[in-house]
Amino acid sequence: MKPNARKLTALAAGLAALLCLSLAPRRAAAQAAGPSGEAQTVAAFEARAKDYSRLREDLEEKLPKLSKEAKPEQIAAHKETFQGMVRQARAGAKQGDVFTPEIAAVIRAVIKSEYAGQELRELRETVMEAETQGVPLRVNYPYPESGELVEMPPTLLLKLPQLPKQLRYRFVGTNLLLVDRENGLIVDYMTSALP
Amino acid sequence: MTMAAALLLGGLAHDALGQTYATGAKVGAGAAPRILLPVREGSVRFLVIGDTGTGTQQQKQLADVMIKSRAAFPYEFVLMLGDNMYGGEKPADFKVKFEDVYRPLLDQKVTFYASLGNHDESNQRFYDHFNMKGEEYYRLEKGDVSFYSLNSNYMDKKQVQWLEDELSRDDSKWKVAFFHHPPYSSGGKHGSSSGLRKVVEPIFLKHGVNVVLAGHEHFYERIKPQKGIYYFISGAGGKLRKGDVKENSPLTEVAYDKDMSFMLVEIAGDEMHFQVLSRTGETVDSGVIARQGSDAAVSPNKN
Repeated sequence: MKPNARKLTALAAGLAALLCLSLAPRRAAAQAAGPSGEAQTVAAFEARAKDYSRLREDLEEKLPKLSKEAKPEQIAAHKETFQGMVRQARAGAKQGDVFTPEIAAVIRAVIKSEYAGQELRELRETVMEAETQGVPLRVNYPYPESGELVEMPPTLLLKLPQLPKQLRYRFVGTNLLLVDRENGLIVDYMTSALP
Repeated sequence: MTMAAALLLGGLAHDALGQTYATGAKVGAGAAPRILLPVREGSVRFLVIGDTGTGTQQQKQLADVMIKSRAAFPYEFVLMLGDNMYGGEKPADFKVKFEDVYRPLLDQKVTFYASLGNHDESNQRFYDHFNMKGEEYYRLEKGDVSFYSLNSNYMDKKQVQWLEDELSRDDSKWKVAFFHHPPYSSGGKHGSSSGLRKVVEPIFLKHGVNVVLAGHEHFYERIKPQKGIYYFISGAGGKLRKGDVKENSPLTEVAYDKDMSFMLVEIAGDEMHFQVLSRTGETVDSGVIARQGSDAAVSPNKN
């Protein structure tokens, strides 16, 4: 390995260690309260996800119902109007509102404990395979229409907290997003979800 | 036609037993491709395409062969294996990448049933021509065949439970699953979706799914039967990744990655006949599959 590459590797390792140290206390705090502490963190996250779901359902009810045999113009109009309404209603939304540091730590730990070795490599390959470099990580902004979706590993979906049907987990690089499947808005995101 | 003549004209194909026989030559402009399917009365006939949504000249050329093949093989519907739209989903995209390309088939009342790929927004499920009726996953029945369109982008607990429930009460003779990501693949770019396979394969085996159709890889591949299930990849309906099939893959029965292609399928009784045509109208694979557990005898050169 060349000297510059060695320095970069050491720097990356140091940064990773610092990140782990900063995250550890949050998960430790949840764990310290016992299994019920972590369960409460998950329950609180699911409640926040349901709050978003109720908000967007209430707003969507104000729109003309989209036919299940719609024309593209109707689909596009519905999405655009719906998107605008939700963005306005969540004008102050910021990163961490739904993915609080506590639940982010729990999710990172779930992924780390469930995936190791070959399985982790396969998970990373699946996630990193998609071309998502241009996707901006901005809460309350639309996921680009032309952006590729990452196949969410089914085994991971079975282990993560359950979401209302309108919300989706989505990887962009190693970051995990919450995306509204109809209006396409990024509801929240957490960084460094993958070890 | 002698084997030598076949080699001179266009090449060879293999049936499910690995028997080799002559294929049709390249089809000239305006000519309909030679159909090798039996076209039996009462059979379920359909076409399979994947990864179509480009709006390119090549997609249109393949569509031309699809349209021409309907004269001799009147398929009733088309299964779409995802990536139905690339690079945007404005109304103009639906026109250019789908409606204009397949207009003759739409005019002939051929029904398209879509599944979602990793380039598809969930809202495609509302598009009238994709006949998803607002659902990301659904089941449809044609004759004695049940088709399961799945959303392999997001195989969550709800979908898994739905699949279990539906299959458990399904007494159809044939069960065919179609979705985007291939559980088995010899592709270099993507390869097998092993995470998906871990979840769906046990369900398929438990409930006797016969055939799985997938896209995502931009080529055609007939996979050797895996635990008794037949897998096909047909992902070259609008894009092509030449040379992407790994040589000497233990999975491959037949593969074709030199040009774009689509499948014609006829299910008649206990037999599933298939023929794969390229953009130039060449037959690049063909054969017949006996329904697992049936008494159907598979004989070579049935087509």
